[in-house]
Amino acid sequence: MNHATSTGSAVEIAAVLVVVQASFSLVAGLSALPFAIVEPGFRILGLVTILIAIGMFWLAHSLRRPRRWAWRWLVTMELLSLAITALLGLLPIGAVRGPVPVLVNLVIPLAVLVLLAARSGDRPTQAGPADPA
Amino acid sequence: MSYVSLIAQLYGRSMYDIATDHAVALSAAIALLVFILVFVRALSFLADRRVALALQLREAYATTPAMAKLAAILMLLSGGIHLALVPGHDGITGQLFVIDGLGFIALGIAVFLTSWWRRPAALWLLATIVAYIVWVIAGWETPDQIGIACKLIEIVALGLVLRLNGRVGGSWLRRAWRATAFPLVAVLTTLGIWVGGLAHPDALHAHAGALLQPVAAVATPEERAAAAQLLAATRASIARYQDPAVAIAAGYKPGPASSADPLRHFENQANRNAILDPNRPQALVYAQTPRGLQLIGAMYQMPRVGQWGPDPGGPLTQWHQHEGICFSPFGIEFSFETPFWTCPVGSTSITTAPMLHVWIIDNGKNGPFAADLDKTIQRQLTGRS
Repeated sequence: MNHATSTGSAVEIAAVLVVVQASFSLVAGLSALPFAIVEPGFRILGLVTILIAIGMFWLAHSLRRPRRWAWRWLVTMELLSLAITALLGLLPIGAVRGPVPVLVNLVIPLAVLVLLAARSGDRPTQAGPADPA
Repeated sequence: MSYVSLIAQLYGRSMYDIATDHAVALSAAIALLVFILVFVRALSFLADRRVALALQLREAYATTPAMAKLAAILMLLSGGIHLALVPGHDGITGQLFVIDGLGFIALGIAVFLTSWWRRPAALWLLATIVAYIVWVIAGWETPDQIGIACKLIEIVALGLVLRLNGRVGGSWLRRAWRATAFPLVAVLTTLGIWVGGLAHPDALHAHAGALLQPVAAVATPEERAAAAQLLAATRASIARYQDPAVAIAAGYKPGPASSADPLRHFENQANRNAILDPNRPQALVYAQTPRGLQLIGAMYQMPRVGQWGPDPGGPLTQWHQHEGICFSPFGIEFSFETPFWTCPVGSTSITTAPMLHVWIIDNGKNGPFAADLDKTIQRQLTGRS
């Protein structure tokens, strides 16, 4: 398998993982809306989460094009996500307990970062596969 | 071993716990990953020594795209988890686990040896995810972290298989369907697990987000006497705080007022290390009544998350901890965490240290140590529906 094919696969795998993350964020945002009826803060948080989820769908789509800005935005978001999870994991508030939070909040962001890093070498010229969407 | 390490200090119990009969799947998943790694290394070793079969297999492995390889590994993982869970599941569920597990292993191997595996794999993954949601909503299976993690593995595998399809073009409707089908599966899976979990909580969930301490079913006469003594001691001790100003002067700080919650907790950090001491409760609970704040109880809290407190009254003095809750940064506001452990951006998933309420007013059928104030009593006190 040549280098171009392997980096193309890395982008595709990263895009799938970002779509999974975006879907989970979308549910988290939607789930906040019923609480927003009596809790005004969650109106803002719910809407912001839904907007971020939509943005992540768009970034996953743009990553396959490939778009440099999508790569940069995703690296920033995943780094931020990992840093926040690591910080919360250190606090005695039980934020990360069991295999599901470890997979969703640590393993997937880390995997996306590794896959994006694998692709960083040929970012400007790499032609991604055609996007069926 | 993996289960024991998880349930130690850091884990405790949680809203979506690891069911005891599912714990073996964690070890099986780790063992399977190690086996795959060793198998690939061994294959390479034998191929270097010109063993014909190993050469063929290495060639097949090398020519398989990375996405397909990952999809195969995830399907093998899911197959291994399903087979590891068979001994804990009787009847039709156990039989389906055998079929599902063997199917995933066959498809995982087929990835490297055939060209027709994609469509069967997509259908198998989708059928497994749908079956799990049906089982959970029907109450035949309790959603736990192993089941949810397994669905996460299958969702990612499905996403990879669908991307490998590589179709382009077609009508806008077809393209829109291809773009939205996979996110829709992920969203509906999350919602399905959630609905099932909330519709069929186990006996240790007082309500969504509150987990009760495991206790015996019936209180002994000694435990009844100890519970009555704790109630009397607490009532006598906190009677001096009927006036909130006295509580504040004694070091209790009022928590933020919330339009959503008519009860206010006044906490005293100086008492944080006291354990079930009626003279030093961690918090006082006041109801916001039309006549002002009325003292209705005390709250004892353990110093650490996952550390259940002493329960002198056995099942009568059952501690509880709040979890699976997303707290907003805008004061006492919360929503529920999704089964995939996500909160709205800006809010934080928090698990509280175990707590025990002692209600000094009549708490109806819930009793003086219930996790929650009886809703009818609360309405009478606060004048709110």
